[in-house]
Amino acid sequence: MKYALKRIFMLVLTMVIVSFLTFLAFELISGDPAEAMLGTEATPERLAALREELGLNRPFLVRYASWLAGFVSGDLGVSLRYRQPVWDLIAPKLEITLCLCLASFVLITAVSIPLAIWSYRWTGTVFEAVRTAFNQLCMAVPPFFTGILMTYLFGIVLRLFVPGDFPDLHTRFGEAMVHLFFAAVCLGIPRTAMTVRMMRSTVISEMQKAYVRTAISRGNDRHAVLTRHVLKNSLTSAITFLGQTMAELIGGSVVVEQVFGIPGLGRLLVYSISTRDYPVVQTVVVILAFWVVLAGTLADLINQQVDPRLRLGGAA
Amino acid sequence: MKKKTINGYLLVGLIITGVLLLTALVGTFYTPFDPNAMNAAEKFQAPTLTHIFGTDNFGRDIFSRVIKGSGTTMAIALATVAIGAVLGTLIGAVTGYFGGVVDEALMRLNDALTAFPSILLALLVISIVGPGNKYNVVLALGIVFIPSFARVTRTAFAGLRDVNYITSARLMGAKNGRIMLLHMLPNTARVLLPAITIGFNNAVLAEASMSFLGIGVTPPDASLGYLLSEAQDKLSRAPWYALCTGGVIALLVFGAGLIGEGLQKMDREVA
Amino acid sequence: MLEIRDLHVKFHNRDREAVAGISLTIGDGEIVGLVGESGSGKSVTAMSIAGLLPRKQCDLSGDILLDGEDLLHAPRSALRQIHGRKIGVVFQEPMSAMDPLMKVGEQVGEVLRIHTDLDKNQRRARVLEVMEAVDLHNPEEVYNKYPHELSGGMLQRAMIAAAIVIQPALLLLDEPTTALDVTIQAQILELLKKLNAEQGISMLFISHNLNVVRKLCRRVAVMQRGVLVEEGSTDRVFFDPQHPYTKRLIDAIPTRHGKETV
Repeated sequence: MKYALKRIFMLVLTMVIVSFLTFLAFELISGDPAEAMLGTEATPERLAALREELGLNRPFLVRYASWLAGFVSGDLGVSLRYRQPVWDLIAPKLEITLCLCLASFVLITAVSIPLAIWSYRWTGTVFEAVRTAFNQLCMAVPPFFTGILMTYLFGIVLRLFVPGDFPDLHTRFGEAMVHLFFAAVCLGIPRTAMTVRMMRSTVISEMQKAYVRTAISRGNDRHAVLTRHVLKNSLTSAITFLGQTMAELIGGSVVVEQVFGIPGLGRLLVYSISTRDYPVVQTVVVILAFWVVLAGTLADLINQQVDPRLRLGGAA
Repeated sequence: MKKKTINGYLLVGLIITGVLLLTALVGTFYTPFDPNAMNAAEKFQAPTLTHIFGTDNFGRDIFSRVIKGSGTTMAIALATVAIGAVLGTLIGAVTGYFGGVVDEALMRLNDALTAFPSILLALLVISIVGPGNKYNVVLALGIVFIPSFARVTRTAFAGLRDVNYITSARLMGAKNGRIMLLHMLPNTARVLLPAITIGFNNAVLAEASMSFLGIGVTPPDASLGYLLSEAQDKLSRAPWYALCTGGVIALLVFGAGLIGEGLQKMDREVA
Repeated sequence: MLEIRDLHVKFHNRDREAVAGISLTIGDGEIVGLVGESGSGKSVTAMSIAGLLPRKQCDLSGDILLDGEDLLHAPRSALRQIHGRKIGVVFQEPMSAMDPLMKVGEQVGEVLRIHTDLDKNQRRARVLEVMEAVDLHNPEEVYNKYPHELSGGMLQRAMIAAAIVIQPALLLLDEPTTALDVTIQAQILELLKKLNAEQGISMLFISHNLNVVRKLCRRVAVMQRGVLVEEGSTDRVFFDPQHPYTKRLIDAIPTRHGKETV
């Protein structure tokens, strides 16, 4: 419990630092938002008025504090490009990206863990070579390429979804899910291959440990050694890795959303970067950072439940 | 000790990468067709003997475009790795050798940074330095790759710091800089080489992703990623465009990946 | 009860046989010591009795009979019935020999779970009883601890408890005291003596330390480079060694003025 509180405190602290650095960075590069918003219509009077309205005349730290307060209460400022509140812009896209990443995460977990165990059992057989080669292939093919292949095969040839035309998540939920499913598969393939590889080598190294010999000496068969002892001991590394996977997925989603034409957070980020819509970029960056840090924290907290040794280590 | 033998991974990886590198090098002064020459009569041609990757909507020869593009991609990836490796090694060497508070602080920062997907960091840096320019892409990716190199070198240097022959070199009055350069750096090649191949891989992927997203390299410097985004628009009319471009990217990554795998395997066998 | 006849073990990746023709018997209720330097093949002998050698990576020949039952060539499935049930094994490092994520009590009771029909409560009762027998005080408390929460000495007691919980015929002890402090070492030896006297369990005690063996075993066998060079009553071997290797081993024992090596 104490450990959990400490971990959550660290999470909050990290987020404050990240948000400060982000705010500082965009403060330095973005120049004068008032000028950006008015563009050619800028006159000295209108600029001054807008600056006053946006609160740009206040000192830096005050502006950071008020931005942070706004962030926590859901007031994230106004998009320079769309002239609408950033939160209204982000919320529906965040929803889609969350669906995509969670779907992909579930697929990765559901496929890679059984596959890792099977592939461990295949050690020394023909399947092992096949799996190793296939694994290498899955890791080498970048998601945007598999994405294009999949849009061609399932979208254009088989017409299971319409590339570039993402159905509304609320009114046409089923169709949206089909669309998301293919994107999630494409997003998950390389990471699944990595998880299989990592899990397999963890199981192999656990199998070398002395407690396995003890377990065999007590009359456990291979299956019981694996399920009763080794898997639990491999779990902490798997959970840490899946935590990193959560973080990597959000990065990968930026590209995959572009390929499948999914109007998610990633596409918004890319669009906002190319149009220099800094209030939006800034918010998306902080949200993504929060996602990454949260994934790591959750993995740590779960691990600490799995492994009693971490409970002591964490409190000390 | 067992003699160092080139293993299968390394061999196949070197062949693939070598062929691609050579083609790209030749491509800088000779391509079968002018990659930007349009020819309305030959648009949307499927691969033939003349146009082995086919042509696009303007009748441009895709093979020539891919050769040029792979040159750009590889050049950017190499430059990126160079920046990351040199600065990262420098930072890692100094902090690892001297240790102390700075080392501790930098490594914490490093831990925090490596938790973030590199594509996100690259996007963040590119949004700061400005998108759509190849030098900015190199700069952004180079910065993003510094931490991973710094970590690898730091670990190696920190491990070597108190080894006997380093201590004796120090006792004999050798300067710190000289010790690091002559005695320690050669010993870190073992870990640096695989790190460089992995870095090259990630750089190719990151550049391709960014250009694919339209915020990396933009014409006239077409890279593989940009070509792929072009190809995606023509997917229903000219699927070979995407297939060939994507295939080359995959091959590039696959080749470098095999080299990395082979180097690590060789290292394990020697150890 | 245990009879080893002309045992040969050769690992595929080694030129020399690890065990080159050993014959040894252990009688009912007897404690036999097996002494030798590291690499002499004593642990390999123990592992082949316990069936823990990787069969695909070595050639085995000879016979190992436990109450007339063949241990060396029996199929794995038959061996599993013998492991734990008839032979208990205690290893050198209790900390790494225990599953770090399983409660100590559950590990002690694992053999019961595998080989008996006892339900959870019955198993627990038996585990607590055995823990008491190996002088683990507060067994209720120890039951729910994880390995990292116990000292090395307590863990080794728990390992012994796990090995004898089902009352096996034979206990294999592979350097069980080597990783422990001298005082703890003495306590464990006392415990083993007590268990042997009270429950009549036969034991094969393996050690590189002749002095430790002398405190526990009435009979001792000395092993060097895969063969037995000397065998006999402990007192005889100790005071009148025949083989030069045994003499060297005895000379290596520190005198009472020196420190006893662990």
